[in-house]
Amino acid sequence: MKISVQSKNGEHSFDCGERETILHAGLREGLTLPYECATGTCGTCRARVVGGDYEVLWKEAPGGKRLKPEKGDILMCQTRPLSDCSLMVPSELKVVQSGRPAKRSGTIRNIKPLTKDVAHFDLHLSEPMEFEAGQFIVVETPDLEGGRAYSMVNFTTSPSNHIQLVLKQKADGKFSAWLFGDRKAEESVTVFGPLGRAVFRPSEDKDIVCIAGGSGVAGMMSILEHAVHADYFRNHKGTVFFGVRTHQDTFYLAPLADFVARSHGNLEVTIALSHEESVSEVHAQYPNLKLAAGMVHEVAKNGLGDRGENAIAYIAGPPPMVDGAIRTLLGSGMTVGSIRYDKFG
Amino acid sequence: MSWTKICDASEISANSTKKYNVNGFDVLVVNYGEGFRVIPPLCPHMEEPLEESGIVVRCSLTCSKHLWAWDLKTLEMQGAETEKTLKVYESKEENGAIFANVDQELIYDFDEEGGGDDDDFFK
Repeated sequence: MKISVQSKNGEHSFDCGERETILHAGLREGLTLPYECATGTCGTCRARVVGGDYEVLWKEAPGGKRLKPEKGDILMCQTRPLSDCSLMVPSELKVVQSGRPAKRSGTIRNIKPLTKDVAHFDLHLSEPMEFEAGQFIVVETPDLEGGRAYSMVNFTTSPSNHIQLVLKQKADGKFSAWLFGDRKAEESVTVFGPLGRAVFRPSEDKDIVCIAGGSGVAGMMSILEHAVHADYFRNHKGTVFFGVRTHQDTFYLAPLADFVARSHGNLEVTIALSHEESVSEVHAQYPNLKLAAGMVHEVAKNGLGDRGENAIAYIAGPPPMVDGAIRTLLGSGMTVGSIRYDKFG
Repeated sequence: MSWTKICDASEISANSTKKYNVNGFDVLVVNYGEGFRVIPPLCPHMEEPLEESGIVVRCSLTCSKHLWAWDLKTLEMQGAETEKTLKVYESKEENGAIFANVDQELIYDFDEEGGGDDDDFFK
């Protein structure tokens, strides 16, 4: 089916498969359609259908609550065409050649609990994928409607079949119930990606600040791995604030300590524990990791000092934490242009 | 034009916002430390309620949803993402109270009912 898009800078068109959402089809063809979460929560991929038939997958998607469906307003990530369609997208669009996302199949392997409600798992992809540090993929299972977004934990310098992801188990989360349930490795899933613009590029030549809550640390791990691999901390400072509730909820401390050890003294990692009353200043087992009690954005406020002056900041975590972190960073004198995050979760 | 008292200045602490209903519609009063602004309650980007998503710091208002931002002193747009100017009601602080000219509600052109052709979607 042909999708025609009227944008602020002219008309574009692309083909969309029967089982494909308009957003995926456009991105796959290199069109820079606006999006952030690609899973119905943020509302950034809104558009208006002015001709053609279509079906909306997740009608209650929180990102769509301010749309006017009677006027044809849709979220492109939740809409499949049933015929050729014409739509309007209120953005300037272009077609890019590199970094186009694609659909691949994947096999889940090596599910490994990290804490009582966080698990690490590997995905083996049918086709290798190249991605930037900080990007994410959307994973769909055969049994469950809709996709879930996960940031890559690892980083590879060349296209790879192997990606690592981390999952936070939610009380009412169908996907986590699926993954944490009696199903085990070797499950097949569909993967679309890479997605996301909150990426780290060494060529930008800036210091790095990361503020992450819980499983939001996933993308930060990829960024740090890339930075350490590129010996970026020889000439740049890195400052990481990683928030969880208690000592029992910490994870990835060993790789974080390893990054610090390879940073020429320029990477500082502070683990913020929101539900511990008092903590020692350094971690008993990993003495090159700092500890602090409090919400991660509050800990960042006290600990950032002047380390944000020439930095790009990456944020990931639950929405209230993201808001708090933005407040902290702006309060420290950073500008909106130096803050990056993709709103999903 | 007439001045309407919106609230006492002391009701809103520095670097915060508060919503008030006047003349049958909502306005948001912003205390940015060096002064006050009275604005429509929604972000001009995607109608996010700024009472929740608005962050006031260093005399700037930033909507945390997509990082649209404005200088509250000069009303200049900040950051590369911001595409629309912030509408403000004429306002003044007098004898510890905030007054604004709210004779007419300020509305962004998200997509007005009865807006005729759909060009408004692109504004």
